[in-house]
Amino acid sequence: MAHHTEISHHAPEEEHPTTTGINNRKLLMWVFLSSDCLFFGSLIATYMVYRGQSLVGPYPVDIIDVPITTISTFVLLCSSFAMVRALAATNEDRQGAIIFWLLMTAFLGAIFIGFQVYEFNLFKTEGLRIDTNLFGTTFFTLTGFHGAHVTLGIVWLLGLAWVAKKGRVGPKTALDVELAGLYWHFVDIVWIVIFTLLYLIGGFDTGPAGDPSLVPHSITGFLGLI
Amino acid sequence: MSSDPGVHESRHPTLKQYVGIAIFLFVVTLIEFVIILPVDFRGAGWTIAPLAILSAIKFAAVIFFYMHLKFDNRLLTWVFLGGLALGFAVVFALVALFLSWTPSPRSYAAEHAQPCTFDHEYVCAQYKPAPTPLPTPTPEGGAAPTQVPAPDDASVNDSGELVAVGQQIFLTGQGEGTATGCYTCHTIAGLEGAAGLLGPDLTNIGAEAGNRQPGVTADDYLRQSITEPEGFVAEGVERAVPGLMLMALTSGLTENDVDALVAFLKEQQ
Repeated sequence: MAHHTEISHHAPEEEHPTTTGINNRKLLMWVFLSSDCLFFGSLIATYMVYRGQSLVGPYPVDIIDVPITTISTFVLLCSSFAMVRALAATNEDRQGAIIFWLLMTAFLGAIFIGFQVYEFNLFKTEGLRIDTNLFGTTFFTLTGFHGAHVTLGIVWLLGLAWVAKKGRVGPKTALDVELAGLYWHFVDIVWIVIFTLLYLIGGFDTGPAGDPSLVPHSITGFLGLI
Repeated sequence: MSSDPGVHESRHPTLKQYVGIAIFLFVVTLIEFVIILPVDFRGAGWTIAPLAILSAIKFAAVIFFYMHLKFDNRLLTWVFLGGLALGFAVVFALVALFLSWTPSPRSYAAEHAQPCTFDHEYVCAQYKPAPTPLPTPTPEGGAAPTQVPAPDDASVNDSGELVAVGQQIFLTGQGEGTATGCYTCHTIAGLEGAAGLLGPDLTNIGAEAGNRQPGVTADDYLRQSITEPEGFVAEGVERAVPGLMLMALTSGLTENDVDALVAFLKEQQ
């Protein structure tokens, strides 16, 4: 068993030369995050295309609560800070701090998800479901997939904390923490975009019933320039 | 931007820098929030540019420092920015397809869209021509009361007219109040436009309504089924699923609307 532990501890660390000079796992992570940009890009584009096209309410202005979501945005930003602390502790081999900051990151992520569960439930009771209108469909799909990403990150972090508790996380396996961190920060930046677009900019949209001329038909209309 | 693996320490910012970035992100988010705080500013067109720029700054701060792209192999920056650029391209492409870049409305989609076949009744409802044998159809927006005579008007004492009003509500959702058009989910054989497949077939509902619930008349059964759809769901009826028809669908109807619908449905024998 001890032998096995040693292997699993050292195997990932054997830095073999690569043509790019970058560790393969790290490159893979960045390629994945790069591709995830396309994934969220298409969901965001769908939201933009259908923005203001709902024929029935509730519309964003009826339902979006910017202050509450600003708080949960702060929480997610905090979790990113906790994540960099976890990586710093790993590089410095401070075992207690590694576990603490990993759990703290997961905990803050869980609070963010808690806010999202609260928000989704509130929307549901106020009459907005994924099949209510185009706003509901695009909103829940986009934020739901983001929430799924966060949830996956929490599971990943808890797994890492579990491994760290066994003393298997340290400077030699810092890449394990770094990769989880890259994923976590990526989820954070996706939220930065979603928060700006769906809440700060699109959160006050009214429906076409109020004033048909408000329905954006072009990108200039969408951007509010005309 | 050194990619020399030898200088490992310099590849990560110091704690002080991390704290500085965290505070910076906080402050920028706070500024964003303050921008939309005044009611007049909310949703205003001019707020879009500053909000987009601020979020781009936050985005850059996180990827270059928290994700230490700034300190890492430059190739990783290109890999990620490449994907990001493709992501933007996807957004631009879809916007160009469906919104167009010029003020001319939705040019590509409008020219290439399939005509509305009414298979998706819910979406098409607003654009659907009203059935011809009815009283004047109401335009969208609920300007109904002047156009749909109330049943207690002298003009509607005739039950045939009440049935016609009920049929119009069934097919448009517009009466004195507004509801989701019943045809969206219900079928009445022989009635053009009423071919929904989500809820029970109502072709013979007038004959069956009186037998659905012991001791409840057809009138009362129909009335409850409209105003309180979750109150009683008949068993053994195809597509009668508890919880599928929500009260919210019909809560916009007035008493008179419901009277008209009941009269119309009783005729479906």
